[in-house]
Amino acid sequence: MLNYIKLWGVRGSYPAPQGSHLRVGGNTACVEFCVDGYRLICDAGTGIIPLGNHLARQHGNSPQELCLLISHYHWDHISGLPFFVPAFMPNWTINVYAPGDSSAEIETYIAGQMQPPYFPVEVEVWQAKMHYRHTQQRQIQYGPFVINAFYVHHPGITLGYLIKVHDKVIAYMSDNELSFIDRSIEVRKNELNPRETELILAMAKEEWDNAVQQIKGIDILLHDAQYTPEDYQKKQGWGHSCYLDTIDFALDAKVKDLYLFHMDPAYDDDFVDNIYEKALKYCQQYSNTLRCHIARETLLIPL
Amino acid sequence: MNNIKNPVAHVSSVDDRPAHPLVMVVDDSATSISLYQYSLENLLIQFVSFQSPLIALDYLKQHKPDLIFLDIVMPVMDGLTFLKRLRELPEHKNTAVVMVTSKNYAQDRVMAKHRGALEFMIKPLRFQEIRDLVSKYIPTC
Repeated sequence: MLNYIKLWGVRGSYPAPQGSHLRVGGNTACVEFCVDGYRLICDAGTGIIPLGNHLARQHGNSPQELCLLISHYHWDHISGLPFFVPAFMPNWTINVYAPGDSSAEIETYIAGQMQPPYFPVEVEVWQAKMHYRHTQQRQIQYGPFVINAFYVHHPGITLGYLIKVHDKVIAYMSDNELSFIDRSIEVRKNELNPRETELILAMAKEEWDNAVQQIKGIDILLHDAQYTPEDYQKKQGWGHSCYLDTIDFALDAKVKDLYLFHMDPAYDDDFVDNIYEKALKYCQQYSNTLRCHIARETLLIPL
Repeated sequence: MNNIKNPVAHVSSVDDRPAHPLVMVVDDSATSISLYQYSLENLLIQFVSFQSPLIALDYLKQHKPDLIFLDIVMPVMDGLTFLKRLRELPEHKNTAVVMVTSKNYAQDRVMAKHRGALEFMIKPLRFQEIRDLVSKYIPTC
């Protein structure tokens, strides 16, 4: 039995189905983990639609269970769910973990996008057994997966997930603005007195170090890399990272494999190739151990 | 007033109140807490800080600060959820809360406002800005 991670959706913000984007892929966030027959899915962007079709073909209506981790409720992370065929199949069980205080709150958020007049049917037509669970204060155990959720920098309450499975550790951080505090300090640096400067720089370092510590030495990092440095200058505070900050984060944490994820949908294949070339040069300057990749749709990563 | 069987329902009486106003900080960053301490050290206040939001919530079941500075991105419980839980405690419906965070997003501002935060400030704050916020919401300081 092959254990793997498969990328079904890698785009940020909105789908990009244009022909010019097909080598990277146009579906929004969805990553499948399959280990020892257990299936874990991170996010339900449009990438979950082809995944659902695949699962339905593979298993039909035989009893199946899967675990779905939602990072947050922005469209690009949930808009595939109304078309996720296993949700309509009576013998399936879907455990949904997502931000929220209670099962009812999570169900309300998930159901919201299918309420009239936004969609022709509501979640009541789903026949799978849907279990909504919050992630606060506890570890999630699902088959061989041990999962810890943590908060990241993105508008609203947004989660990253640290997933341990056998001897591998993988972090899924689809939406995370890494260096917001640094830019905020930069803007105010001329106003600060020496003592303030000392404490505030120490605070920023502590924040960075804590984030690095969270993923220290992991095997695989799937992380927001939405912008080039030039675009990030214009879009600071939108909740996404510049790919160079993402590489710095991976370098500091001594990550083994980094996947630049959640690329801007305006970036076509040639543009992403150019980013990748620069990313590789940047990595080579600082490390000979980090392997940097572009997250491409349908990519299979053996575990 | 002190109902031991039901500590959640305990409300501090006037006699229970500290001699000086109580300022509370909930922030997972030790350095950030130092910044508040340094800013407020010459004010006639009592200062209490928590790096763990869960322990802070427990503390709030028996104490009523005059002002809370609250971070958002913290382990185990984020500041917006913390604020929601705080407002569920009957004695904290109107406790003064100022969010101080490195998340400057409109969606967070709206959520914080709906949950009754008085201000939404972006890190870094200068010493005087912290003192000004204390004076604004605790006029005796």
